[in-house]
Amino acid sequence: MEERPGTADRSSAERSGARERAGAERSGVQERSGNIGRPTGTKLRRHTGSPRPSRNGCFGRLPVRVRLGIILRSMWERPGGRFALVIMVLWLAVSVVSLAWTPYPLLFTDGDHAWASPTAAHPLGTDGVGADVLSWLMAGSRTDLAIAVLTVLVSAVIGLALTAAMVSNRRWLATSGVVVVDALIAIPTVLLALLFAVPFGASVAVIVAACGITYGLNMARIVRPTASLAARSAYVEAARASGVGMWRVFFRHIVPSTFPVLAVQLSMSAGTSILAEAGLTYLGVGVPSSVPSWGHSLTTSVRLISVYPLTVLWPGLVVTLVVTALYLLGDAIRDCADPLANPRLRQAAGGRALVRVGSLAGRGAGRVTDAMHDEEAES
Amino acid sequence: MRYLIRRLVLFVAALFGLSLLVFVALRILPGDVASVMAGTNATPERVAALRSQMGLDRPYPRQYADWLSGLMRGDMGVSAISGRSVASQIGLHASITMPLIVLSLIVALGVGIPLGCQAVLATHARVRGVLHALAIIGGAVPALWGGLLLIMLFGRGVGLMGVLPSQGFPDAGWRDPAAAIAALILPAVATGLVAGAAIMRYTRACLMSMEDSDAVAMAMACGMTRRQAMLGVGLRLSAAQLVSVAGLTFAQMVTGVMVVESLFNLPGLGAMLINDVGNRDLVAVQSELFLLAAFFLLLGVLVDMVHHVLDPRLGEQPEEV
Repeated sequence: MEERPGTADRSSAERSGARERAGAERSGVQERSGNIGRPTGTKLRRHTGSPRPSRNGCFGRLPVRVRLGIILRSMWERPGGRFALVIMVLWLAVSVVSLAWTPYPLLFTDGDHAWASPTAAHPLGTDGVGADVLSWLMAGSRTDLAIAVLTVLVSAVIGLALTAAMVSNRRWLATSGVVVVDALIAIPTVLLALLFAVPFGASVAVIVAACGITYGLNMARIVRPTASLAARSAYVEAARASGVGMWRVFFRHIVPSTFPVLAVQLSMSAGTSILAEAGLTYLGVGVPSSVPSWGHSLTTSVRLISVYPLTVLWPGLVVTLVVTALYLLGDAIRDCADPLANPRLRQAAGGRALVRVGSLAGRGAGRVTDAMHDEEAES
Repeated sequence: MRYLIRRLVLFVAALFGLSLLVFVALRILPGDVASVMAGTNATPERVAALRSQMGLDRPYPRQYADWLSGLMRGDMGVSAISGRSVASQIGLHASITMPLIVLSLIVALGVGIPLGCQAVLATHARVRGVLHALAIIGGAVPALWGGLLLIMLFGRGVGLMGVLPSQGFPDAGWRDPAAAIAALILPAVATGLVAGAAIMRYTRACLMSMEDSDAVAMAMACGMTRRQAMLGVGLRLSAAQLVSVAGLTFAQMVTGVMVVESLFNLPGLGAMLINDVGNRDLVAVQSELFLLAAFFLLLGVLVDMVHHVLDPRLGEQPEEV
């Protein structure tokens, strides 16, 4: 049994509840539902397990473009998702534009107008050496974009590798996976960053490595309950029995069933890596001082806050906005890109809408109405 | 009990791995404390003499063994730069950082758990929505910026309502407890609020997953109101998860704590580490990093144990991996 189940956001508990309900219908098992995310007897789990449609399931036949269109449209219709999409597109656009153009060259300094308030010439003012704040923020966005993307990649690789080890059916591998994760889970990012920064110096790679490792460990721990549930499910057993290889089972059957948790965790990794960048850069073990980044802008603006408070406002605002958007993005992706959560995807795939009423048989009277609300909300 | 023993064995093994990692990471750095101490225009002989004086010219396995046996005896070596023992330095700086962390945690839990509950239980949907939004946005604020905003609002001499000191720690240290605590309030609020937002999100998530649980339904069937059932039964059932999350939040709070220490000019562990890393003070850095990391590994063990105590279901069945 998992030692620390479902520390994920509401995702794991909420979604896997829905998932399990759907599973019960499809496999014809009329078990009480809503128990995943809490440790229960193993008996229940053997029967249910998450039913991720495999090869030709309701998801596989849909062309990628159609699927993407539906997902984006669903996201756009949620306030949180819309906010996240707008900020993401802006972030991407500014990063690309900043490669070719910023209002002022980065090394241009206007010594006569240091600490200038916002004017037409400098929309966000200037910093202590007279450099244009807007230009530095624009250029910083690409550094932070790179850090966020790389951190997501690294933490996904580490997290999935550990998850694969933990749910593997080789006992020694599973045990050592659990051991590694349990032992290292509480290591703070900043200590790792310091450790790496001593030999290698401050760099983007140090941030990515420190964040990637700690978030990967975190992710593995949070994904594990869902993944091990899937690993013990009937469809994985069936796949293994019919001779599907180890890795294929993992990526086709186990990883997709952890999708809701994964989406939220990875978007948290991205957001937190930006916060970590700001902190580590301020401490001198993050981005080197010649490279523009939001943490760099924050750091340079700190020195004279008492005299020029306005300058410090912008970098912090940008970071807060983007990180909020990243957090919301994860929620939106979870709700929209998962065919079990988004009925439109199922309908588009050929009307294989899951009928939920079947699962009501075993539920308490109080919760019938809840389930009906669910139905209404989704249709 | 078996679990406890297993976890402790694991902890000791992890400590060994950690010491090896720290040792190796600090040996591959170009330039060491000897060349820094000797200055830029020192003769190679002078550097070599310093190296042998500090034992840096011995073979690595020997150095590692020396360091490890020193650690076991509680002797962490002497800082090459300040000449003080590393243990006393750590103690001195920890006397600022640890109270700061504890205060932050109090703020985080005090804000996070009640508001997180309120975000589920509030009668008005709008209140719930606002609280949820607050939890997300609060978690997205960089600690550095949050600290700055607090200074601008409440910092003495700078802020709009300058009531609290925002720079440095009183010279009298803890002999003047009132001043010492006053110096820690703003930093603790800065890190505590950010971490509190995370705890608020988790509390909300845990309680929401309890909303349609059998336990809560049962409690309500026995006559409790929804609020009573959620707080009395639901919250108790999520306690185990919340402890885990609080422990991990505590660990991740450290980046923020170091930043805020530096921002508020507090001579804590963060300042010490950054300083020693900058000086390439190998002996000091390796013991400091190891000790801090060991502290957090221990924290992980404690969290897991509390989790087991709070959730007796985990102890019932044999470990199944």
